[in-house]
This record gives sequence, C-alpha cells and structure tokens, in this order.
Amino acid sequence: MKIKYNSEIIAGAVFVVVAAVLWVLIPTQIQTMETSAINAQTFPRIAIGGLFLFSVGLLLQGIFFNEKKEVYIAKESFRSDGFRREMRSLLFASFLLLYCVGITFLGFIIATALLVTAILLFYGARKWYYYAIPLAMVGIVYYVFGVVLRISLP
Amino acid sequence: MELFFQGLEILMQWQNFLIIPIGLALGIVVGAIPGLTSDLGIILCIPLTYGMEPTMAILMLLAIYCGGTYGGSITAILINTPGTSANAATLFDGYPMARKGQAYKALSMALFASTVGGLLSAIALLFLAPQIAKITLLFGPAEYLALAVFGLSVIAGVSNNSIFKGLIGACIGIFMSTIGMDTMSGTSRFTFGNINLMSGIDLIIALIGLFAISEIMMKSQYDPKKDHKQVSMSSITKDKITKEEYKRCRKPIALGSLIGIIIGATPGTGGGLAAFISYNQTKQSSKHPETFGEGEIEGIAASESANNGACGATMIPMLTLGVPGDGATAILMGAFMIHGMVPGPMLFQDQGNILYAIMIGLIIINIFMYLIGHVFTRFYAHITRIPYEMLACIVLTFCIAGSYSTNNRLYDIYIILIFGIISYFLRRMDFQLVPILLGIVLGPLAEDNFRRAMLLSDGSLRIFVTRPISLLFLVIAVGSILMFAWKNHKSKKQIQA
Repeated sequence: MKIKYNSEIIAGAVFVVVAAVLWVLIPTQIQTMETSAINAQTFPRIAIGGLFLFSVGLLLQGIFFNEKKEVYIAKESFRSDGFRREMRSLLFASFLLLYCVGITFLGFIIATALLVTAILLFYGARKWYYYAIPLAMVGIVYYVFGVVLRISLP
Repeated sequence: MELFFQGLEILMQWQNFLIIPIGLALGIVVGAIPGLTSDLGIILCIPLTYGMEPTMAILMLLAIYCGGTYGGSITAILINTPGTSANAATLFDGYPMARKGQAYKALSMALFASTVGGLLSAIALLFLAPQIAKITLLFGPAEYLALAVFGLSVIAGVSNNSIFKGLIGACIGIFMSTIGMDTMSGTSRFTFGNINLMSGIDLIIALIGLFAISEIMMKSQYDPKKDHKQVSMSSITKDKITKEEYKRCRKPIALGSLIGIIIGATPGTGGGLAAFISYNQTKQSSKHPETFGEGEIEGIAASESANNGACGATMIPMLTLGVPGDGATAILMGAFMIHGMVPGPMLFQDQGNILYAIMIGLIIINIFMYLIGHVFTRFYAHITRIPYEMLACIVLTFCIAGSYSTNNRLYDIYIILIFGIISYFLRRMDFQLVPILLGIVLGPLAEDNFRRAMLLSDGSLRIFVTRPISLLFLVIAVGSILMFAWKNHKSKKQIQA
C-alpha cells in the first residue's frame, strides 16, 4: 500500500478535529452568566476559531503546495530503522505515562528510581556507576527538597 | 538618578555576589552540554529561586542566561557541536582552530568577545530601557492589547518556514492561558470539572513540560555508541592570544556587539541570528575573507560578541513593553512574574529600584563571567565527558521535583509529562515551541485589556485604530509579519532555484 503525506497534512488534520471538538464544547465548558457580547467565552472562541482556520490553512498548504513523502507500507516497513526509531520514542513516552501511574501509588523515591533504571536500560547503559550516580541523585534531590527547601516530595 | 542609587544599594548585598557566580557556573555547564540550553537551565532553576528575594532570584537566572550563551561556544569549539543555537556560527572557525591545536586560544577569544559584547549590551539596557519606559507610561488598555498583538507577531520570526504552524502554536498557547477561572467574571473555563484546573496551568509547569521534557524526549533516539563525542585533554593547548590578534579582533568585536544589541532589541530575533549576521558582515569586510571557515580567530570574535551582545538587549523590549524578544526572555518574563514583577511600562514606576539593581547586576554578571571563564576554561572539556543517558535521568529527576514543588501536588507532575509528550510530537512535526509560550505569556495580557478596552469603547473596535500608539503597534505588528513572510518566500525561492 502506498501513502503520500507530509507533516502539514497530519498536523492540519489533527488540529482541525481538535479545534472542532473544542468549539462544540465551549457552551458546556464555559457557562457564563454575563449578558454582554464580550464575555468569558469570547477569547477562547477567538483562540479556538483561529486554531481551526489556521489548521485548515495548514492542511490545504500540505495538500496542494508542499512536497509529500511517499511511503510504501509492506511487512518490511515494520523492520526498518525508521520504524524502530519511532517505536523507541513511543516506548520512552510509555515510560513517562507509566511513571504518572507509578508515582501515585509508589511515591517519588521508588517511582523515580524505577524510571531512572528503565531509561538507563533503554539507552543500554552497562557500567555500574551509570546507574549509581543518577539513583543517588534521586535520593539527594529528595533530601534537599525535604530538608533544605522544606518541600516533602510524595 | 535616585532609583539608580537605590538599585545600587540593593545590589551591594553579599548574597547577590554569591549567587551570580553560582548562576554563571550552572549556566556555563548547561550551555556547554549539547542538547541542554540556557532556556532549560533557567527553567530548572526557577523552583530553586522561590525562597529568594526578587533581585537575587532574577540575577541568578540572568547569570544562567549569560553563562549559557557563552558556555555553548565551548562545545562548538571543542567537539563541533554548539551547546545552544546561538553558538552555531562559532563552530565555523572554532572547531578548525581546535583541530589545529589552538583550542585554548579559541576558547579564550570566545570568552573575551562574549564578555565585551555582554558588557556593552548591559550598558545599552541600563541607559535605553528607562527612556523607553517613560514613553510607555502613557499606555491604556487599547495600547496594551496592541502591544500584546505586537508581541504575538514575533511568532512570524520564530516559526521557521511555516507561518501557519506558528499561528497554530500561538492559538494553542492562548487557549491554554484561558483554562481555569476567568479573573473578570469568575466563570470556570475548560476545567472539565477538575478542581486542580481551576487555578489554570502554572507558567513554570507549562515551561518544564514544553521545553525540558520534550527536549529529553527528542533525545530518545540518541545512541550512546554513535552520538557521544569525547574531548581529549590534549586537544586544549596553552597557546595564548597575541597582542596582534587582540588588535585584529577589535573591529569584529565592536561590530558584533553593535549588531547583537540592535538584533537583540528587535523582538522575534535573538542571539543566533545576530551571530550569523555579524559573522557574515565581518567576513565580507575582511581583507582576507578566504581564511574564514579555516580557523580564523576574527570569526569567533564576531559571532561570540554578537550572541552575548544580544543577551542584555533582548531584555529591553521585555522590561519596557512586556514583549519578550526570544525564548529565553519569554521564560525570564515568566520568572519576573513569579517573583511579583510584571514586565511592562509600570515596572519602572512600581519597582524601579529592583529593576536598576538587576540592570546594574547584568554588568557585574559579565565581569564575573570573564573571571570564572578565565580560571576554568581548561576544565570545561570534562563537561562534555558526562554521558547523555546519565544526564537525561538527572535532568528528569529535577524536572519532576521542581514541578511538584510549585504547588505541592502530583497533578503538576502529570501535566509536565503529558505536555512533554505532546510537545515532542509537535516538534517532530516541525512546530516551534516559542509561539506556544508566547501565547501562554501574552494571552492573559491580551484578553484582559481587550475586554477593558471594549468596555471603555462601548463595544467598538475603533478604539484600537483611533489611538495613535495603539495604531502604531498594530501597523508594526502587521509590517513585521509581512516582512518575515516576504523573507520566507524569498528564501524558499532561493532554495528552489
């Protein structure tokens, strides 16, 4: 299967949908009691309206004016370096999302130590001090924030 | 004059003289690490300044800004990778000099030129800013809105080749600034019933997510085996700059500093552009242009004096008009606001003494920068030896702790991580983050004054074009957008040709 695309088409399409959804949500998300024409809804409407119009502009620019990449999707595409790189980014993003869940239940020290270890494994770090220094830093940060700055981390 | 002496008195406290070298050292280290910028250094240190006096806090952040701009030249010279985008022009001649065994000489010239550029820029700020501020005291809501529009027009200059992407970024930023309780009517906006969102999204939280986390994410494809470049100590010799070389560099430094001040004072530009223009002008006016790019010391003098020359000057529009000149000043503007100082015309009237302390402090920062740089130049090579994988973990730990400390709530950690992931994908689609930041910073200024102006004019938009200063700013804003659009069009045509 052959696909033609560029970043303008993808970004334009995504933001057209996002802006449309936000526009529809305005009456329920901003329930103002003001009766004047200029009220709490005005500026969000300008921002979201602008987002919609400029996204349409970007989409049209991507479709009609900018060069497009041609990608053939086959089984081999999933083994390419480019695909692997994208997967690495997604894996990194999933570490951060898992951390959001982890810190709620495990607290700062354990969750951050796990995140740091996962990132070092992700980069393929082998030397022991590559792990020791950042892990020690987690403890130092916890101590400095708690004792010096009097902010007790979760 | 009274404010000047009051400012001097505030500045002359031992704590300030302690914090400046610390800020500089941090800035130089952050700037010297490729991938970490002075912007990131400022963001990471903002939470550390919460308990400080405003003068001390801002001086520390300014020291990071100046130190970072200079520090970026170290890796540009030693490993052909500029630490920050402002130092990109330095590698043209810096790296060839290092390969010839003249790294110490190149680093020394970078330091000297940066100091002179920074000093002249700080003096320009000290004398020009108060004069501009006097004029801006005449501003009303219409002028403030026009000013915010003018500030937002900066996005045309920082959107690379796609104005639509810049405008989308600004709309996202403005939308984000409206989340939370409306200050004029008390209506909650886009909170989805979540009480944590009632106070809106904190500027520092947005900054950490947008810049720091996305930067770490951008490096997720970093391969330690291929991408880590080490510097051997032997590449730094003790070859000193001769008197003749100092003499030769006088003109490039003077020209570079002047270009840096002019470009820096123009919103939407920044040190990187100043350095390229200065390098180009020096090369064109040189009697031996063929030596540029081969390890010409004048090339380093030109680019480094210009990028540090822009540092103080970028503060002129930020302090007087509330319009940040580039990404770093937009972040600094946020820091000013966090410390209860709202940049703009009223700042000189309300907190003029603190402002003078900061402006005079900028001169001290540049003097300290020379002293610190002079002593530690030979040790800088070690900075580049820190493996990125370790650094990423340490930076991430600071980001998480820093964001939690803002409001003592887990919610802010979720926001920085989610913002980071979203801005990573935006960056992958060639979006610039500065327009989003400008939207967040200038959105509330624009909204409040738009609504006030509409109340004053009974809902008529004519108020914005009938008041001369407001009209002038709107015309300049439109003019600058058209100018950047024309430039982009021309450069695209040149590429096609």
